[in-house]
Amino acid sequence: MIDFLTVTVDKFTFRVATDRLYSPEGVWAKSEDDRRVRLGLSDFVQQLNGDVAFAEVRPIGTEISDGGEFAVIETIKANVELPSPVSGVVAEANPVLADRPETVNLDPYGEGWLAVLGKAILDRHSLLTPEAYLQVIKGRAESEVGKK
Amino acid sequence: MSGEERKVIVMPCSGIGKSYGAISREAAYEVVDELRPNTTRLVALSLLVLGDEERRAAVSRDPVIAIDGCPKLCAATMAEKSGAGRITRVSVLDVQKRHRELKPQGIAQLNEDGLRMARILAAEVAGIVDQEELKTRKGGDR
Amino acid sequence: MVDLPKKKAGIVACSGEEIPEGTVSRMAALKVLHELRRGDTVTICLPLFLAGGEGDRAFASVNPTITIDGCSRRCAAIGTEKYSARPAVSVVVTDLMESEQLPRPLGRRRLDAAGERVANKVAQVVAELVDEVLGRPAPKESVRPADDHEHEAIVGSCSCGSGIPVLRLTLDGEEYELIAVPAIFDQLAAAGRVADRSVMAELMEQVKIYNSLTVGIEAGLSERLLDEFRLHLERRGKR
Repeated sequence: MIDFLTVTVDKFTFRVATDRLYSPEGVWAKSEDDRRVRLGLSDFVQQLNGDVAFAEVRPIGTEISDGGEFAVIETIKANVELPSPVSGVVAEANPVLADRPETVNLDPYGEGWLAVLGKAILDRHSLLTPEAYLQVIKGRAESEVGKK
Repeated sequence: MSGEERKVIVMPCSGIGKSYGAISREAAYEVVDELRPNTTRLVALSLLVLGDEERRAAVSRDPVIAIDGCPKLCAATMAEKSGAGRITRVSVLDVQKRHRELKPQGIAQLNEDGLRMARILAAEVAGIVDQEELKTRKGGDR
Repeated sequence: MVDLPKKKAGIVACSGEEIPEGTVSRMAALKVLHELRRGDTVTICLPLFLAGGEGDRAFASVNPTITIDGCSRRCAAIGTEKYSARPAVSVVVTDLMESEQLPRPLGRRRLDAAGERVANKVAQVVAELVDEVLGRPAPKESVRPADDHEHEAIVGSCSCGSGIPVLRLTLDGEEYELIAVPAIFDQLAAAGRVADRSVMAELMEQVKIYNSLTVGIEAGLSERLLDEFRLHLERRGKR
């Protein structure tokens, strides 16, 4: 069961899962065993960008640097290249993305994960805690929602 | 509209917040007004949900094609909750996945890609209508 | 100090596909949302609302809504009241056409010239209503007021134009406008307070921070506010 912090602007509620870290761009990173880190999109970013029609992760085995592109999502609003918050090697891409990319929207912190990087180095000092990320999106939420 | 007239029901979500909602609406009109005017009818989702008796009787009796603009599937969900017996779920997003080259925009006025996507979707829905008609003629819905 | 968000009006259009007036309602709503009162309004997607959209319902329960219906079936108005709160104003396109003597639109897929004219008029009226519900002058006579029962409380916005939410109610024949009460209800609900006598003292203490109360009404008002808080929690539906 995941706990969330939330912020509400107009009719939109944005949730921040408390069991992982975040990049300022809104990619979450969750450590697993054996130097594996699972990556996905925050609720704020998926709501902002709209329904995901395509989601493509770099091929298995690709080396990804910290800040390097690990995936691209395509929505009706934008093509978004996602920078990885950690360095590592692509070990897994979420198989549901091929047929049901909207899973990213429906369950961004659960079934809608994007990729797992192996041999990953997660620098906790360079990533945001859930509380800090909440403050980031609080500041952005008002202006972004106003554009909707 | 006669309560006894049996037609395939087309029900778009008509979501107002996104282009895909507008596409669902446009595709429904294309089917009902142009492609299959004699064998289909439009049903407004809100009238159905709020309990219109004639429409509830119709959806429980006749096949329903629910066209949804987003993964929340409002039209399909509410058709089911309103007693629809036979529902075909159609998603605008699925058409987008098959036609990556199209970039629909606009809600009040769809751009050319949006209109094109609506026509593609309408053609698919017309095919579903034909299949439902075939089932009906064979007595498959009795 | 209560943290009060900027007030906006929710616009709910029926978008009824079966008749041209339904398309008029949709076009008018979009004109208000995207052109005339952008920044002061929020789109409420009626199908999502009816299907259980929590964000839309929560917004509509504490913010004023203006519903735009194509016909007297009033699906948007009825749906809004059923699943969150009575709209601040209910606009019916056919009523407005009659009162303004506008020609009947033809074409439900594409509005004809008459349809465009009606849509523009509806949009203009709704835009002015947005100003009213956010700044609280009297509603227009050409639309049907949503509140037919004066003894029932109304959630709206302060007449000072600040957008601070208010609760308007009638108590012992006197009308009161209590500032910030809807936001106070929200905060109490978020803090897990239930609508029983244990919350009354805290509720009244908060209300008195923002409102000067006439001597002698506190006892009656506290009972009434407890009832309103109970209704507020019911509308939120314990989501």
